Amino acid sequence: MSKSGFGIEIEGITHGYVPRSGKPTVALDNVSLSIAPGEFHALLGPSGCGKSTLLFLIGGFQKIQQGTIRTARGLVSEPGPDRGIVFQNFALFPWKTVIENVRYGLEKKGIKGSEAEQRAKHYIDLVHLSGFEKAFPTQLSGGMQQRAAIARTLAIDPDILLMDEPFGALDAQTRRIMQEELLTIWRGTGKTVVFVTHDVAEAVFLADRISVMSARPGRIKRLVSAEFNRSADPTIHKSPAFNDMVEQVWEMVRDEVDQARAQGH
Amino acid sequence: MREILRWLARLSPIFVLLLVWEAVALAGLVKPFLLPAPHAVAGRVWHDLASGQFALNASLTLYRALVGFVLACVIGVPAGILIASERWVRWLAEPLISVGFPMPKIAFLPVFMLWFGVYDLSKIVMVCFAAIFAVVAAAEAGTRGVDKFMLWSARAMGASRADVFREVVLPAAMPQFLTGMQIALPVSLITAVAAEMLMGGAGLGGAMLAAGNYADSPGVFAGIVETSVVGLVAVAGMTALRRHLLRWHAEFNPRG
Ligand SMILES: Nc1ncnc2c1ncn2[C@@H]1O[C@H](COP(=O)(O)OP(=O)(O)OP(=O)(O)O)[C@@H](O)[C@H]1O
Ligand SMILES: [Mg+2]
Repeated sequence: MSKSGFGIEIEGITHGYVPRSGKPTVALDNVSLSIAPGEFHALLGPSGCGKSTLLFLIGGFQKIQQGTIRTARGLVSEPGPDRGIVFQNFALFPWKTVIENVRYGLEKKGIKGSEAEQRAKHYIDLVHLSGFEKAFPTQLSGGMQQRAAIARTLAIDPDILLMDEPFGALDAQTRRIMQEELLTIWRGTGKTVVFVTHDVAEAVFLADRISVMSARPGRIKRLVSAEFNRSADPTIHKSPAFNDMVEQVWEMVRDEVDQARAQGH
Repeated sequence: MREILRWLARLSPIFVLLLVWEAVALAGLVKPFLLPAPHAVAGRVWHDLASGQFALNASLTLYRALVGFVLACVIGVPAGILIASERWVRWLAEPLISVGFPMPKIAFLPVFMLWFGVYDLSKIVMVCFAAIFAVVAAAEAGTRGVDKFMLWSARAMGASRADVFREVVLPAAMPQFLTGMQIALPVSLITAVAAEMLMGGAGLGGAMLAAGNYADSPGVFAGIVETSVVGLVAVAGMTALRRHLLRWHAEFNPRG
């Protein structure tokens, strides 16, 4: 697929939570962001700054309170299989085996029988879970569950891929492999990716652009172009240019992390 | 074989208790009328088994308990789901449940006898009424507790709202549904026996009432033993059903 059509236009999004007890929170304050079709965009920022909230709004899971979000399919108002999501806590169906989890979305698309089986196997293989097709999620480690959730979302082949710290539960080695795997898929399919992470090097390695978000209320503080991923160079992590970039972005994030700490996160 | 031995070993406290009891009875420390010896009770149980009396009474009691129990599940689970998902139903039902749950339900027996007569129907309604609260409460908690990210995932994979209910809410809340039923099943048996003891007639409870009226203490104790065995078997069946339905659940896949 060519890189046309499926960008995300976020305009003037303000979002608050009013818990039953405790004081209301402004999670996002007037956030505007234009993500190009086929862009790999990272959201980086301290814990509690509203990264997940922004992702949920793009996904259509929460009602938009103020502002608009638009994709190629029009204004976002509901979830849909054009926007696949990998949640921070995996959200696998525990009563289904790994392969049944992956097949669920395929069946919703009308893909059944041996074709569904084959496709599911392909994505399970891609996340290196072959041999665990018949395991239940409760029988897998956290990192394996996370990979199963990634396979499940990739299998429905969404135009837009929303990922909430999808590699958070992986060991460093698997994490690196999965990052490269994701880049390969992204390059091959031209998906628009919104990728939430705490990890500065991960954001710099993967993303075209990085939104550095401020501590509560969440705003986009800086927009950084990284574009290291185009090189596909395995030694990139050691290059001075890469490390300079990581250092620079770190500086931007550090102030916000300090502020978030002061707010008690 | 090893399984059976382990099972017997687990029951050894009961054997010890029986031995002590038998010794006390043989030594003549208490009047047999107050505490009949285990061998006398066992003899009576054997007699009930051989004469078909046990089969008759147990099946009657089980019939009343199980019909009431199934009714409680068939009405209670949907009611709990409805209470969890509809605000106005919750508004209506919540105070009723808070009042009803801790109430001694058996107190309603005279009312049900008035409404439904003195035969099976009133006993079955009594069982259902006693058992339904646990089923409703657990079904409500289960439905409300379903992880919202699971619901969102299904929606993002193209599931409709109706799909989500059938394919995600029901299986996700299943462990809680079963927990409610597991609490309700012994309640059903207890209530059936209690209703029989209050109303007389056939059934394990009625037989115990009759034995008590004739000052037949081995008969009373035999009734207690028979009731316990029926309860044990029913609860074991329910546990096996849970184990089968929840093969996927973490409680049967312990880690570490
Ligand atoms: N359901 C909710 N009710 C009340 N407050 C909420 C709710 N969800 C999020 N918040 C608040 O909104 C803010 C943003 O939350 P969000 O989950 O979007 O942060 P985040 O950037 O994803 O954090 P993390 O990196 O820790 O996942 C937080 O301060 C949080 O306390
Ligand atoms: Mg988050």
